[in-house]
Amino acid sequence: MALIAGVDIGNNTTEVALAEIDGQGAVRFCGQSLVRTIGIKGTMRNVSGIIDALNQALAPLKIPRRDLAMVLLNEATPVIGDVAMETITETVITESAMIGHNPTTPGGMGLATGTTINLDALSEADSAQDFIVLVDAATDFQVAAEMINAATARGVRVRGAIVQLDDGVLIHNRLSQPIPIVDEVRHIERVPMRMPAAIEVAPVGKTIEKLSNPYDIATLFGLSPEETRNIVPIARALTGVRSAVVIKTPQGDIQERRIPAGHLTLIGAEATVEVPVDQGAAAIMDKVDQVAPLREIKAEAGTNVGGMFETVRQVMADLTNQPVSDILVQDIIAVDTLVPQQVLGNLAGEFALGNAVGLAAMVQTQKLPMQMLARKLEEEIQVKVAVSGVEAEMAINGALTTPGTKAPLAILDLGGGSTDASLINEAGQIRSIHLAGAGDMVTMLIDKELGLDDLDLAERIKFYPLAKVETLFHLRHEDGSVQFFDAPMDPRLFGRVVVMGEGGPQPIPLEDTLGRIAEVRRKAKEKVFVQNGLRALSRVAPAGNIRLIEFVALVGGSSLDFEIPTMLADELMEYGVVTGRANIRGSQGPRNAVATGLVLTSPLAREQSYGR
Amino acid sequence: MKISEDMVKGIILEVLQQMKPSSPGPDRPTQAAPLQLREIGPAVVGKDKNEVVIGIPPAFGNTMTQTIIHIPHQEVLREVLAGIEEEGLKARIVRVNKTADVGFIGHEAAKLSGSGIGIGIISRGTSVIHQRDLAPLQNLELFSQSPLVELSTFRAMGKNAAKYAKGENPTPVPVRNDPMARPKYQGLAALLHNKETLLVNRDQPTVELAMA
Repeated sequence: MALIAGVDIGNNTTEVALAEIDGQGAVRFCGQSLVRTIGIKGTMRNVSGIIDALNQALAPLKIPRRDLAMVLLNEATPVIGDVAMETITETVITESAMIGHNPTTPGGMGLATGTTINLDALSEADSAQDFIVLVDAATDFQVAAEMINAATARGVRVRGAIVQLDDGVLIHNRLSQPIPIVDEVRHIERVPMRMPAAIEVAPVGKTIEKLSNPYDIATLFGLSPEETRNIVPIARALTGVRSAVVIKTPQGDIQERRIPAGHLTLIGAEATVEVPVDQGAAAIMDKVDQVAPLREIKAEAGTNVGGMFETVRQVMADLTNQPVSDILVQDIIAVDTLVPQQVLGNLAGEFALGNAVGLAAMVQTQKLPMQMLARKLEEEIQVKVAVSGVEAEMAINGALTTPGTKAPLAILDLGGGSTDASLINEAGQIRSIHLAGAGDMVTMLIDKELGLDDLDLAERIKFYPLAKVETLFHLRHEDGSVQFFDAPMDPRLFGRVVVMGEGGPQPIPLEDTLGRIAEVRRKAKEKVFVQNGLRALSRVAPAGNIRLIEFVALVGGSSLDFEIPTMLADELMEYGVVTGRANIRGSQGPRNAVATGLVLTSPLAREQSYGR
Repeated sequence: MKISEDMVKGIILEVLQQMKPSSPGPDRPTQAAPLQLREIGPAVVGKDKNEVVIGIPPAFGNTMTQTIIHIPHQEVLREVLAGIEEEGLKARIVRVNKTADVGFIGHEAAKLSGSGIGIGIISRGTSVIHQRDLAPLQNLELFSQSPLVELSTFRAMGKNAAKYAKGENPTPVPVRNDPMARPKYQGLAALLHNKETLLVNRDQPTVELAMA
């Protein structure tokens, strides 16, 4: 009887499987554990985490560590990944041509046109003209309303107002004749005077109709076909807002400008191509497919992506004591995303969604110093330690302990840093691939798209469902179901969108609706995991055809996610593939695959095959 | 020793005089006109979902007419009301006679409010946004350091209270925190508190007020 331990050092977690193997080589599993990996995978710092994991697995059995016959480590795949984002478009307004923003409470409603005029100048204004009046922060709402009323009484035609403070409703409520009012225009001093302007406020729950249509703007300002062509970006930028102002200035313009983000040079086995990052994710991924298999990628210095490549290379070089030039980029994935950006030249602090490209890269080197790690561990615990088996093979051997599976089987390992796939055929041959982009990239996308600037919170939004606290005694879950509580909740949660984490609901400090946050989360997962799942499977599938795979088992931390497995299953259904979360040894869920595989393939075990 | 109102007034004026040279900021008049508020009967629980109730103690706008940093109570109420109106909601004002504690006043206002959201403001400026299901000493937002509650804070307070009443998800009003506010104002705050409590009468019910 020998007690052996399989240890899987992953990017985020270190997992242990304990088993007794008798003289005949029969394996009986008797324990497991899971701890956070300490330090970067494959480095000396891992040792303390491994010892901790072993202790945790042994504790319930009351067996001292020295009774272990052997500890088996996986041949950790020497890949690490990182993510970066490059914003490629920005919106620029010149000469204050438009204000289109969403103050939550504009005043009045309807469409108005007139010449812009200062409130103070209203007393000398003639009555033959229509006016749009500007009210700055120094003017009290009561005073402003009285001045507008006085002007109206004298026959001056005030058709609309632009207000600096959040006073739209207050002024509107005090007017003798209702007019549409756009408020919260922060930089009102930039609005040009004595220029023709149009203003539109939509009723609650609707969006503006006229100023978002180029022909309506042309009608209002009497524009020529040439000029109409030029205001198309304005109309587009105003789509979907509740209130807007358009001012006709001689050179006023709004543009969507491309920000130069440098080139990527993709070096494949046979060809080398250059692709500008600002062409977006689709163009980059096209070129990646073109040059596959990829050997090396170079990015321009001074860009975010260039910086990211340098960092991962440096980290890997430090890790392995190899020169930076020996570290090669193995894979990249690019996804398109939208990030909120302040509009340049804005009048009201408007934000527009700028296009951005998120990139994850993976670098490879010859070998991580696993032997050194094994020796160090052996010294520390005085038990024989061996490095045995390649990670992907071990994972598939572990996955085959899932009830209801048999070879041929493909596994998708959805981790934090990488998405890996391996396939075993009837003959027991294994093919595997590591691709860049997994859970960490999803976290980055959520963080950037919501403008959170808080990776911990983004991580929790990724991992847990959302809910809205409606009263202190009940909340409504994302799916619409209601949960009641006997005791009142923490007042800080009142009215908020919350993440339903393990420690109870946690508020999200955003004014976005639950629907939008959930949408961003789902999109991010789809962009990364669905795309990468298909990419990975087609690389290992016979003849590159996913249809020829029958069974796919999901393993790894991200397959514990509450919606990723469903997304992948839905997608793979189209290929006629049975997809499900693995259940290692019928009890461990998608965890512990590699550690289990290590034990099963140890020299002492009889079952060198793939479980039952 | 019995403290008479005149004594307190005298002490406050004295303290204010001494503080003058060191306190920066605009020179405001030390006396503001009393609030023109009229009692229109006992306060009742509202049925309108679109209202926020503002609770004030007996001395507010009465024997005391400005906050600890000399914002006239007239303007305090005007800004809170404006914040609520801008969000499209209605406001009621009640005078809570039985206590001078900001938490209990806010809670009383919240219990009377059809939306369940109330605001409590005491004379020196300390304020709270409250919800009826909370315990009296809990709060949705608390503005605990009266010297740091400015005119713009009152507008934002009204606005946020209205947003809570609408079931929205407002960002809490940013509250400054000044460690020097305590040593600098503690004495004055204590005196103002004494003055505030003088008019408290446990047996008198909460009354509804109207702007005269």
